[in-house]
Amino acid sequence: MPLTDQEIKELKARAKQIRLDIIDTTVAAGGAHIGGGMSIVEIMTILYYKYAKVDPSNPKWEDRDRIVVSKGHAGVCVAPVLANKGYFPREDLKSFNQFNSPFGMHLDSLKVKGVDASTGSLGHGLSMSVGMALGARVQGKSWNTYCILGDGECNEGSVWEAAMSASHFKLTNLITFVDRNKLMIDGPTEQVMGLEPFADKWKAFGFIVKEIDGHDFNALSEAIEYAHSEKSGPVLIMCNTIKGKGVDFMENEVKWHYGSVDSVLAQKARESVEKMS
Amino acid sequence: MATERDLLASRIILKAVLPVAKVVLEEVPAMKKKFQGVNATFQIQAKNGDENIGAYFKFTDGELEIVQGVYENPDIRFAFSKPESMVAFLTGGIALPKIKGLGKPGLLMKCVGLLLSLTILLPNKRPKKYDQVRLKVKMVMYMITTALSQYNKGGDPEMVKWTTKQPDRIYQMSCEPEGIAAYIRVKGGKTKAGRGYYTRKHPFVHMKFHGARGALPVFMNDVEFVDAVAKGYVTVEGAPEYAMHLNNHMQQIQALIT
Amino acid sequence: MSTKSGTTWTVYDANTMTQAEIYGQVLCDLGEANPKIVGLSADLAKSTKIGMFGDKFPDRFFNVGIAEQNMFGVSAGLARSGLLPFVSTMAAFVTMRAGEQVRTDICYQNLDVKIIATHGGTSFGAAGSTHHCTEDLAITRAFPNMTVIVPADGIETANAVKACVDWPGPVYIRIGRGFEPTYYKDENYGFQIGKAVELNPGTDITIICCGVTVLQAMEAAKILKESDGLSVRVLNMHTVKPIDEEAILKAVVETRRIITFEDHNVLGGLGSAVADVVAKSGKGCAFDKVGIPDCFCVVGYPEDLYSHYGLDSNSIIDKVREVMGKDFEEDESWEDEV
Repeated sequence: MPLTDQEIKELKARAKQIRLDIIDTTVAAGGAHIGGGMSIVEIMTILYYKYAKVDPSNPKWEDRDRIVVSKGHAGVCVAPVLANKGYFPREDLKSFNQFNSPFGMHLDSLKVKGVDASTGSLGHGLSMSVGMALGARVQGKSWNTYCILGDGECNEGSVWEAAMSASHFKLTNLITFVDRNKLMIDGPTEQVMGLEPFADKWKAFGFIVKEIDGHDFNALSEAIEYAHSEKSGPVLIMCNTIKGKGVDFMENEVKWHYGSVDSVLAQKARESVEKMS
Repeated sequence: MATERDLLASRIILKAVLPVAKVVLEEVPAMKKKFQGVNATFQIQAKNGDENIGAYFKFTDGELEIVQGVYENPDIRFAFSKPESMVAFLTGGIALPKIKGLGKPGLLMKCVGLLLSLTILLPNKRPKKYDQVRLKVKMVMYMITTALSQYNKGGDPEMVKWTTKQPDRIYQMSCEPEGIAAYIRVKGGKTKAGRGYYTRKHPFVHMKFHGARGALPVFMNDVEFVDAVAKGYVTVEGAPEYAMHLNNHMQQIQALIT
Repeated sequence: MSTKSGTTWTVYDANTMTQAEIYGQVLCDLGEANPKIVGLSADLAKSTKIGMFGDKFPDRFFNVGIAEQNMFGVSAGLARSGLLPFVSTMAAFVTMRAGEQVRTDICYQNLDVKIIATHGGTSFGAAGSTHHCTEDLAITRAFPNMTVIVPADGIETANAVKACVDWPGPVYIRIGRGFEPTYYKDENYGFQIGKAVELNPGTDITIICCGVTVLQAMEAAKILKESDGLSVRVLNMHTVKPIDEEAILKAVVETRRIITFEDHNVLGGLGSAVADVVAKSGKGCAFDKVGIPDCFCVVGYPEDLYSHYGLDSNSIIDKVREVMGKDFEEDESWEDEV
């Protein structure tokens, strides 16, 4: 079902707030993976505010949907999303990176409510997601597992082991996203270690691939609903995104994979986000 | 020349028996008083071929030290013509030493008194009073552990064979509640007698005597060791066969010096 | 008796159930009682015997193919969904190929995943170093939250498997290739995770061992008693982490001589764990460790390898005799006390 105008308006408002929180958190932390955090904002927003069955007051709810942000360095995005959703007070975000804070660059599932897996080392998340999806099936449960991968992350062989098994086990309760922002630390992905033909690889591994604009809520909605209905095998939603989306001077810049912003730059960034439609 | 056995017996006397005089001095108040403030040396020696073997008591302000060897100019000296005589004298037999120090009768009397106190060790002495029983038990335990060690160091072939075979082992004896304890450590032919409880290792054999009155008959051979265990005079922890070995060796030493 | 997985035991009677089959059976029994138990394999279902569980509960068994990293990630996910996964593959692949997944997905997140690592040490002798694992105890000891157990035989493996169901957190159970001889007569000797088993009391010297060396040590102790009259204490230290400090300290104080034996590198395994305790105690103690001398092992049947690297009963006998000759400081004066 296509999103109503009202829904889109609300989702955009949420996304904007989250982006502002990401900037604030980056300032508080003294630096963060802001580029890759910004590129998945729409994906995270639509999951947490439209599709995922979660209960912030009951983070360990047995029948909740699982969300594994395999690109764990996007903690700077995940934490504000969880805070906005009500898992913990937004105040807590100020302690990012402080001594003994539950919040660090990569979120600790044992310390932060709402985090389903401690990711950070790339290439682990999809395997864990496969395990969760299998676990749901063994117990006859209907909850879904959502996994968000980075594109550079897909250099890791373990991602493909997981992909192979997801297809072999026909895990239709596993919905996988790739944040295809085409950049990594040492440069564009195609220069460092080429992934193309990327979609073909996923198809060869047994996934049904949907390529969309990862910042378009309508497209996301359509893709996710398709994934829910597909019964022949796992679905991969290839989200074409822009690293640093929302902050004009960061968009598509390799160097903003990780960075810090002083008050001047932070203000500029906020202004840019505010201007988003 | 004295025989090997004679020399071994002398060694035991000098190194194991004489030193328990220290126990007497510490435990018997009357004796302690006698030697209060005394500074003197009392030598016991025997001629063995061209040289003299012996040991001397050295009193420093009433504190006693037993030193092996021959002191140049002792205050009192008992000199025997041969080791067998010395052994006989100190084990209740008849033998007369040449005595130096007749000019210091007071000191001489004290020294003789101390020597006489050692006679409590003799096999025919069965003290009745508790204090005496306790004293004898302590003296015997100290004496026997040192004697065993000296028996080995002196080269008795059977004893040496027994100690050589052993890895590092502790043979512990104790008498509670009196708090008397002594041990002998045996390791590959080496031996060392010790006082008190050996704490650095679990003993291989521990003979636990229950009360001085239970220990005495065992030491005096009035009761067979096996019976003693049955009667509850003593409990043996550890390898029982080795406890028997120890017992046998103790008997041999007894036979040697008496 | 299947010979598909390698050589049969050459010296001992192989008619009793093999180590691996016992655990396979136990897992089936446990699975029967507990519907949360699931099993995983990386194309080694037959040789690790977890296949027995797989045959009985096909819906609760997952073979991920030759993809160990994925397997451990998947087991972490299964644990998070409320199940109790038992995962099995060869020790080398558990601790090295999938080492990071074991540490980061399982230990760091303190998940209830029970790992049965097979072909530990040099037990897969003929396969050569690529399939040996003489590093796993050193590696797993250093993973926080991990419990490390090296059972002496099939019966102890069964006990360990049963015990780890209720033991909190990740557990690493390391066994051989499954044809090792049994030491225990039955399972009722009081197996407890974290508590060493005193198999033979003794006062002259202590042997601390685990895994295949346990049987060898007991044989050695028997002979040492008969021929040398030595009283050798033998401790089966099946749990390497958390290690039974109390038992070690007792051995230090009561025997003053300790030798450790393990089918593992001398660096970082049981010997090092025991040495930590001995050194920390500050007490004098003659100490030595025997294991693979920090090298990649030659090819050969395991019995030959054990003999070559000093882990069989005859080598243990020689080593004990050697250490008995050692002195430590307080032997300086052999003068009798007065």
